[in-house]
Amino acid sequence: MKGESAMKNIYWPLLAVLALVLLSACSVRSDAADLYKQEAPVHIAVDIPEKVAAGETFTIQAELTQNGEPVDEANFVHFEIRKQDGSIPYPMKEAQAAGNGVYEMQANFRSDGLYFLEVHAGSGDAISNPHYQFIVGELSESELDSLKQGPAPDAGNSGHHH
Amino acid sequence: MENEKRENPAAEKSKKPKGGQFYKSVWRWHLYAGVLFAPLLVLLAITGSVYLFKAEIENVLYADYYEVQAQEERVAVSEQLSEVNRLYPDGIVTAYRPGENESRSSEVTVEADGMSMTVFIDPYTGESLGEIDNDDRIMDKIEEIHGELMAGTLGDRIVELAASWAVVLIVTGLFLWFPKKMNGAGGVLFPRLRQGPKIRRRDLHSVPAVWLSAGLLFLIMTGLPWSGFWGTNFQALVTNTGEGYPPSVWIGDAPKSDVETQDIADVPWAAETLDVPLSSVQGMVPLPLDKVVEIAEQEGIHPSYSVFIPQEPEGVYTLSVFPPKAQDEATMHIDQYSGAVLADYRYDNYGVIGKIVAWGITLHKGSQFGLVNQLISLFICLGIVFVAVSGVYLWWKRKPKKGMGAPKAPPLFKTKGFLLLMIVLGLLFPLAGLSMLVVWLFDKLLIQRIPAVKKWLNA
Repeated sequence: MKGESAMKNIYWPLLAVLALVLLSACSVRSDAADLYKQEAPVHIAVDIPEKVAAGETFTIQAELTQNGEPVDEANFVHFEIRKQDGSIPYPMKEAQAAGNGVYEMQANFRSDGLYFLEVHAGSGDAISNPHYQFIVGELSESELDSLKQGPAPDAGNSGHHH
Repeated sequence: MENEKRENPAAEKSKKPKGGQFYKSVWRWHLYAGVLFAPLLVLLAITGSVYLFKAEIENVLYADYYEVQAQEERVAVSEQLSEVNRLYPDGIVTAYRPGENESRSSEVTVEADGMSMTVFIDPYTGESLGEIDNDDRIMDKIEEIHGELMAGTLGDRIVELAASWAVVLIVTGLFLWFPKKMNGAGGVLFPRLRQGPKIRRRDLHSVPAVWLSAGLLFLIMTGLPWSGFWGTNFQALVTNTGEGYPPSVWIGDAPKSDVETQDIADVPWAAETLDVPLSSVQGMVPLPLDKVVEIAEQEGIHPSYSVFIPQEPEGVYTLSVFPPKAQDEATMHIDQYSGAVLADYRYDNYGVIGKIVAWGITLHKGSQFGLVNQLISLFICLGIVFVAVSGVYLWWKRKPKKGMGAPKAPPLFKTKGFLLLMIVLGLLFPLAGLSMLVVWLFDKLLIQRIPAVKKWLNA
C-alpha cells in the first residue's frame, strides 16, 4: 500500500512536532521580571534588643539597604513609636546616621507594655515604612488579648502623617 | 448566467470538476467543521453579546449594593473590615475594593464556610449594605459559559477548539467564496436575492460571512489570549521575551515580601495559657490595609482598583486594576511588612505585544470605546449567529436524504496545497491541529472500515 506508507512518512514528523508543542507547554521564567520595569525598594532591618526593661535606655537601629548596598544618603529616616493602648504618643523623630546604612535613636520608656515602631525611610524614589512590634518589660492582660487578635496593629490609632 | 456556477457546486459534479480536489477538500472540511462547531459559536456569540453589557447590567442588578450617599468623612478601612469580621467571625478577608467614586460602596471579599462572598460596605458609615454569594453572580455565570461552558478545564479546551476551528472556517470559507472570475459584485460583495432560493441561500451565508470575517477573526484572536491552553502558552512565551505583560499581570509569580521568617512577629495563639514566647512576638507586623490604600492613592492608581490581601507570611499586597481602557491598567505589589513597592507595572511598562493584547482584551470586552465599541461588537455577535444559522440551513437544504452531502474526500496526499494549509493552521492552533489528527485517525481506524458510516459521510 503505497499511500499508507507515504502517509506515515509525512504524518509522524507532524505528530512529533505537535507533541513537542503540546508537551513543551511553557511557563514564565523566574527571571522574566528582569526584562521589565524594576523597582529598587529600600530594605530595612530593624534591630531592637530582645529584653528591655522600663527605664532602661537602649538603642533602636534600622539598617537600610537598596539594591544590596547600604544607604548612607537617605532622603529621610524617621522613627515613630506609639504604645499599643494609645496611651503614650511619641512624636516622630529623625534617626541619626551611624554610617554603613545604619540609622539609630536612643529610647527610654517609663512604662511596661507593647509598643509599635514605624520607620519612615526614603531613598531615591523608594519609600519604605516597616511596622515593628516590641515589648518593654511585661505585657498586660489587655495587651495579650490584643496580640491574640493577630499581629496587625489597629490603624485607627495611628492617624495620618506625612 | 456565469454567476450561477458558484451557486451549488454539488450540482456540478457531473460537469467538469470545479477547482478540482483542492476545492473539494476545502469544502468538505468547511462543511464538517461548520456543522460541528456552529452550535458552539452561536452559544459563544449569544453569551458574548450579553457579557458586553456586564457593567450596565450589574449596575442595575446591584444598584442597592453599589450606591451610597456621599458624605464628608470616610471611616477607616480597618473599621470596614471589623464590620465584615463581625458578620463572618471565621471568614478570611481576601480582597478589598475601595470604590471608584464617592457614591460607590466599597467591597470586601471574604471566604467563609467554603463560599466566596462579597460584602458591600457604606464607606461613610462602615455598615454593611448586604452581601452576594459570588457563585450567584449571573454575569459570572455567563462569563463561565462563554469561557469554559461551565465545565472547567475541559470546557475551556472545547471553547478554544471552537475558536481555533472558527479560524479554519474563516480561511476555508474565504477559499470557497473567492470568485473564480470577476463577474461583478453580486454574490461576492452583495447577496443575490432575486435569482432563486438556491442562490439566495448561498449568498445569505457567504456574503455576510465575508463581511463579518474580519470582525470574527478579531474577536477570536483577542479572545484566545484568555484561553487556558493557547492563551497560557502564548502569554508565557511573550512574557519571556520581554515584549508581553510583565510577570504576574496575567501569568507568572508576584514578587515576595522581603522578609526573613524569624523577623516576623508571631501571633501567640498559645497565649491563652499565658505561656507567650515573648521574643517571638517581637518583630515585623503586617501593614494595616489603611496604609496600603494610602499608598495606592499616592501612586495614582485608577480608583477602581482592588487590593488582594496576602494569605502567606511572605505574600504581598497586590493592587490590581483592569479598568475599561487598557491605558489605565496597573498591577502593583507591595511588601506586606514595609509597604515598599516591589513591582509597579502600568500599561506603559508592558511590552509591545502586551500592549496589543491589553487593547485586544478591552476591545473584545467592548469597554475600550464605550457604547460605540459595545454596539459594534454586538453587531458582530449577532452577525455570527446569522452566519452560523444560515450556514447550517444552507447545508440542511442542500444535503441529500441519505448522507451528509459533503463532496467525496479525495486522497489526502493528492492535495498537497490543502494539506499544507491544514498543517500551518494546525501548528498555529495546536489544539485544532491535534483534533485534525484525531479526526484523521478516526477516519483511518473506524470510518473507512464501516461501510454504512463511510457511505453516509461520503468518506
